[in-house]
Amino acid sequence: MQPNKNIAIGLITLCLLAIGFFSVVLIKAYYQHNKADDVQEASLPSLIQLEMENEKLTQENENLWEELTKLQAADGAAALASQQLEEASINACLVGMTGPGIKIILDDSREERIAEAGNYVIHEEYLSALVNALWNGGAEAIAINNQRLTAHTEIFCSGSYIQINGTRQMPPYHIVAIGNQENLKSALQFYLWDKLGEYQQLYGITRKLETPKEPLTVPAAKQFTFKYAQPVKEG
Amino acid sequence: MRNLNKHVVTVATIAAIIIGFLIAVQIQTKEEADTAAQIQSKRLAQIKSVTESLTEKNKKLREIQEQLNEQINSYREKNINNPLLIEKLNELKMSDGTIAVQGPGIRLKIQDSGQNIDVLFPINTDDLRRIVNTLRFAGAEAISINGQRIVFCTSIVMSGNSTILVNSVPISKIGGTTYEILAIGDQTVLVDYLTNLEILPLKQAGMKVDLTKEIVTIPAYKGGYTFEYAKTIQPSNY
Repeated sequence: MQPNKNIAIGLITLCLLAIGFFSVVLIKAYYQHNKADDVQEASLPSLIQLEMENEKLTQENENLWEELTKLQAADGAAALASQQLEEASINACLVGMTGPGIKIILDDSREERIAEAGNYVIHEEYLSALVNALWNGGAEAIAINNQRLTAHTEIFCSGSYIQINGTRQMPPYHIVAIGNQENLKSALQFYLWDKLGEYQQLYGITRKLETPKEPLTVPAAKQFTFKYAQPVKEG
Repeated sequence: MRNLNKHVVTVATIAAIIIGFLIAVQIQTKEEADTAAQIQSKRLAQIKSVTESLTEKNKKLREIQEQLNEQINSYREKNINNPLLIEKLNELKMSDGTIAVQGPGIRLKIQDSGQNIDVLFPINTDDLRRIVNTLRFAGAEAISINGQRIVFCTSIVMSGNSTILVNSVPISKIGGTTYEILAIGDQTVLVDYLTNLEILPLKQAGMKVDLTKEIVTIPAYKGGYTFEYAKTIQPSNY
């Protein structure tokens, strides 16, 4: 009886030890497996970023090549100067533009305000988010209520009105964007546009999109006066 | 005695089955792990080689860009000698952002990750756009975010769920970015507006914010402008 019991206990102990050992081996193998996956996943986004950067650089270089070719082709100093001045003034938004595009009209609600008052009016965040989406969609020129948007244009809420280019703008807001109509329309397919549609249903604000066949126009901006900045060579 | 024997046999049988099972699983896992490791190392090698070739391409593209810029500048200097014209052209180029500018201004550094920084939501595109808008409202003459000049058609958008694009160029880095916003203008006004309107909410969100008055140099916009659909209404006056 006694030796038999000892053998039994010994056998069971041995078996349990073996089970424990194999479990540890299995768990270890599993974790190692996962760690390798992590390393790989971490390096992928930086790869994509690098690729995007390269694409952008290629495009920039193409533009520079184009500019260089133009410079080489220009006949004489005077022609070169006037051509450059004209291009720069177009790029600086100092020339009115016309072309195909889309028009967005946003207006406050005229309904009686029963819910949160904020949902019945057009906020400056809506304008800046829409404009950002339109630039991202390849817009070439944008004006809000005939104020051309430049590198210095603020869209700032000052209580009852929105300040744009230092002027007071009241609703309705007419956003005119020139560019490829299809691209501009699809650039608007984001959450805010849908949210504004919801607010139109619920609170009666106006959210209208027009894609006219005839060309739209945006006015020229005023030349910005520089007091502090000086041009320098990049190096 | 018979009873005990029966127990021992039962336990031993169960244990033997478990051991057998574990051995089988272990062998299978090892086989799987071996093939997985092989695929893994192949993939890693691939990623490494792609990254290397991309980095090399990146370097080459940057070199070409530098050379092109040099050539373009030398052409301009050679061909335009009228100081009045140069001044006008520089003014226009400062407006459209295609020339680098220097002047008194501010440097705003924002860190949303790193040591001792505990932020629930990292900085987002709305935050950056609001800061740009506030700087414009404060009369900033030139603005850049992480080296990207803000121009009229600048968009600040997300690509995927971690990369911020400014002028379609990724400015955020995997594993934490320091955002550096430069602006030229009236230093007192810029600091005043930023302090009152922007910095407090960022600090409340747990970010590390650093605002200094400095003479800053803001790089040129390198994206280039194309007008494919828009045409000028009247010939320009220049």
